[in-house]
Amino acid sequence: MESKANQKYTKVSKSDITKLGLRASLFQLGFNYERMQAPGWTWTQIPIWKKIFGDDKEAMSEAMVDNMNFINTSPPLVSILLGLLTSMEEKRVDRKTISGLKNALFAPLAGIGDAIYWFTIMPIVGGICASFASKGNPLGPIIFFLVYLAIFLCRIPFAHLGYDMGTKAIDVIQENSTIISKSASIMGLTVIGALISSYVTLSLKVKIGSVSLQKDFLDKVFPNILPLGFTFFLYWLLKKKEVSPIVLIAIVFVLCIACSWLGIM
Amino acid sequence: MQITLLQGILLSVFGAIAGVDSYTEALYIFRPIISCAITGVILGDPMTGLLAGGIAELTFAGLTNAGGTQPPNPAVCGIMTVVIAHTTSVSPATAVGLSLPFAMLMQYIILMYYSLFSGFMPGLDKAAENADTKKFNRFIGFSVVVMALTFFVVIFLSAYAAQAPMASLVKAMPTWLIHGFELAGGVLPAVGFAMLLKVLLRVNYVPYLLLGFVVASFINYSNVLPAAVIGAVFAMIDFFNNKQNQKLQAQIDEVRENGGSEDGI
Repeated sequence: MESKANQKYTKVSKSDITKLGLRASLFQLGFNYERMQAPGWTWTQIPIWKKIFGDDKEAMSEAMVDNMNFINTSPPLVSILLGLLTSMEEKRVDRKTISGLKNALFAPLAGIGDAIYWFTIMPIVGGICASFASKGNPLGPIIFFLVYLAIFLCRIPFAHLGYDMGTKAIDVIQENSTIISKSASIMGLTVIGALISSYVTLSLKVKIGSVSLQKDFLDKVFPNILPLGFTFFLYWLLKKKEVSPIVLIAIVFVLCIACSWLGIM
Repeated sequence: MQITLLQGILLSVFGAIAGVDSYTEALYIFRPIISCAITGVILGDPMTGLLAGGIAELTFAGLTNAGGTQPPNPAVCGIMTVVIAHTTSVSPATAVGLSLPFAMLMQYIILMYYSLFSGFMPGLDKAAENADTKKFNRFIGFSVVVMALTFFVVIFLSAYAAQAPMASLVKAMPTWLIHGFELAGGVLPAVGFAMLLKVLLRVNYVPYLLLGFVVASFINYSNVLPAAVIGAVFAMIDFFNNKQNQKLQAQIDEVRENGGSEDGI
């Protein structure tokens, strides 16, 4: 009986996993507030399920219903999870185990993804490429594009990695998620410190007698102290006063226009 | 300089592609550094595109959709910054400030769609029960078309149709107001950095932030690469220390367990 049941399901090939990785790049389509990425997540896996379940409509429907539950994870890393779950679907692992794993892993993966991609790679690559671009060097956008093209293509090896490692990937993700997030935070914060100093421009025009407050005093005492102070002021508003970012943007505009009108800046 | 109808259409087509990309987060051509450069090429003004991209990218360094929040739309900001700088000949920094209302308009439209798309979930649940994969294809396709069309229309109206009123509005602005917007363009990156700090900063990480700040303030180098390398060094030290601690902890636990059972005998 069992061998017969097994015959119904074809094994997925390497190229199926590659296609899964590529399709994963579109998995945020259909994003909405109620289920976040669930529709795109389900849609991404339809071809590979068709391969695994064949004509078994019941298995297909079970998988689809189960995957329509809430999910919110990291777009550049999602294909690891997709590969891992595919390896389990293929082995016909119990549905509850699969959905339990999915629910246990998507949040840590989102944490690692945000720490690495948004908080570390984005400020570094964006900061360096922006400094090229603001000098009129076309290498800025070109390097940026190439880096993100590489990140895009990594979805393919990541899908294979998840599939090949199978359940071993679970330990790796859970064991390392805090350590990696910590290391990424350290690197990200060092770069953000540098970005504050290099790219927040704030300088006073005020003169006391013939002494320029900015050039003769602040720049000598501590260069870029104003950008640092102002960034911390905004941070304080965000963190302690829970002011929304849109209000902060408005504050910046009002303050700058007022300072310009008063001739302070 | 005026934008021709052909340029307007090209911009809108690019806007639709970059807009969908900002939804999927696949290729990152929606980031200002890329969208500015391409807009510059379309308008025959690549230098403005590069310079504007450098400034706008930094403004958006911390305005990311990490953690499921929706920032002002970077693709619209990038395109409109170059359009405004090109048509009204204000400086790129001023243009970033003037483009933000358009980027926020798009942000609110997208937020509305996220709520709207939630309304499709019951239908998709039913489709999942019936293993109706076609309905998923249709919904995903629908979401792409809606996003692409919206971006096309918004960019066409803001960049092409509204260029004359935009130009006269900027012309009517007094110098102090234009200068105020320019100042805001230089200060806005602080909002993004403050948002990054809100997520990343813990008391024990403050030294790294200050380290990066000091490095960039006192080492004269054209970009943040030195700080990134120093940040990487500290991240690696921390990573290896943590790994070591993990191993030691495991050994201690093992000894304790064994010790405990031996004592029991």
